[in-house]
Amino acid sequence: MADEFIKGLGLFCGAGLAWMVLAGWYRTPSFESPKQLIAAPPEPNSVFDAIGIFLNDVFFWTAIIGALTFWVLIPAVNQVRESSSSA
Amino acid sequence: MTDDTTNTDDEPRTDGGGTGIVAPDDETPTWRERKERTEGLSRLTYEYFERARSEDESLRRESDYVERDVLAFPTWPHETVRNLALTSFFVGMIIFLSATLPPHIGNPANPNSTPAIILPDWYLYWSFGLLKLGPLNPELAILGGQKLMADRTYGVLTNGVVVGAIAIVPFINKGSARRPVEQPFWAAVGMFGVTLAFTLSMLSVKNLMPMNVDLLFDLTFLVPPIVAAITYAVLKTMREGYMYDLNRRYYRLRPPK
Repeated sequence: MADEFIKGLGLFCGAGLAWMVLAGWYRTPSFESPKQLIAAPPEPNSVFDAIGIFLNDVFFWTAIIGALTFWVLIPAVNQVRESSSSA
Repeated sequence: MTDDTTNTDDEPRTDGGGTGIVAPDDETPTWRERKERTEGLSRLTYEYFERARSEDESLRRESDYVERDVLAFPTWPHETVRNLALTSFFVGMIIFLSATLPPHIGNPANPNSTPAIILPDWYLYWSFGLLKLGPLNPELAILGGQKLMADRTYGVLTNGVVVGAIAIVPFINKGSARRPVEQPFWAAVGMFGVTLAFTLSMLSVKNLMPMNVDLLFDLTFLVPPIVAAITYAVLKTMREGYMYDLNRRYYRLRPPK
């Protein structure tokens, strides 16, 4: 149980940090604007920008889905398996 | 002399015979005791501590490690390496963030113009919220419906009440509890204070809150008692499954022989 928790937390924090940095680069027009980290990304000028904007979404969904997988999905599957094996 | 009290030398013993670490057999809960905890949260709490206790017991049974009269860990290397690891992590995080997300430095403040919104630093919002308690300042009939003091004086005095209450708490409760579940009432008092600080902070920025101001004012004082009541109820329920002896054993400081 604790192992699953730290796996989910690690994914959430690690991917979340990478998402925050990339969103700070590509999705923050100004640090004084009310729309930070969530503004629409600009058209990529170079292939590196395109990769960064793409990875931004990848990291975002890794944080969300990774945490959900280890905190909700896998424990739920284990519960179902336990209850069905004991019944 | 029975087998229980015989102390044979070939057998590894912890200090003073009684370990204070492994639960004696008579402290192991019986099946009847286990079955009595059958409901919801108290059962969950009980199962958690029972599992921790039995794992602890079996681990120490299997190992041949003999407890010494160690009251602390040496500074080097134990504490130093641990502290260096923590320090390196936070220094690395600061360097990483300052390298990847350098904040834009804004224009210097103009001392000649007052900003539209004046606020203290966020951790003083609660105190700022206390300055907005004007509606609580009573209009006394004996003074012909006048107020005893100005609203701003009243707000400043309430700061003294809050700070005084916080200062008194450590004299009333000495803090012997290791976990909130051991003293549900005081945990509820703490949650009351935390929630009140939060709701007062919300009140202090009432012009920014997307909410009716009167409702916000009422909620400021209604939410903390509700949170305290919920805390008390939950912890009181958890306490049915809590093992006081187990916790006391973990934290007992054993004097050297």
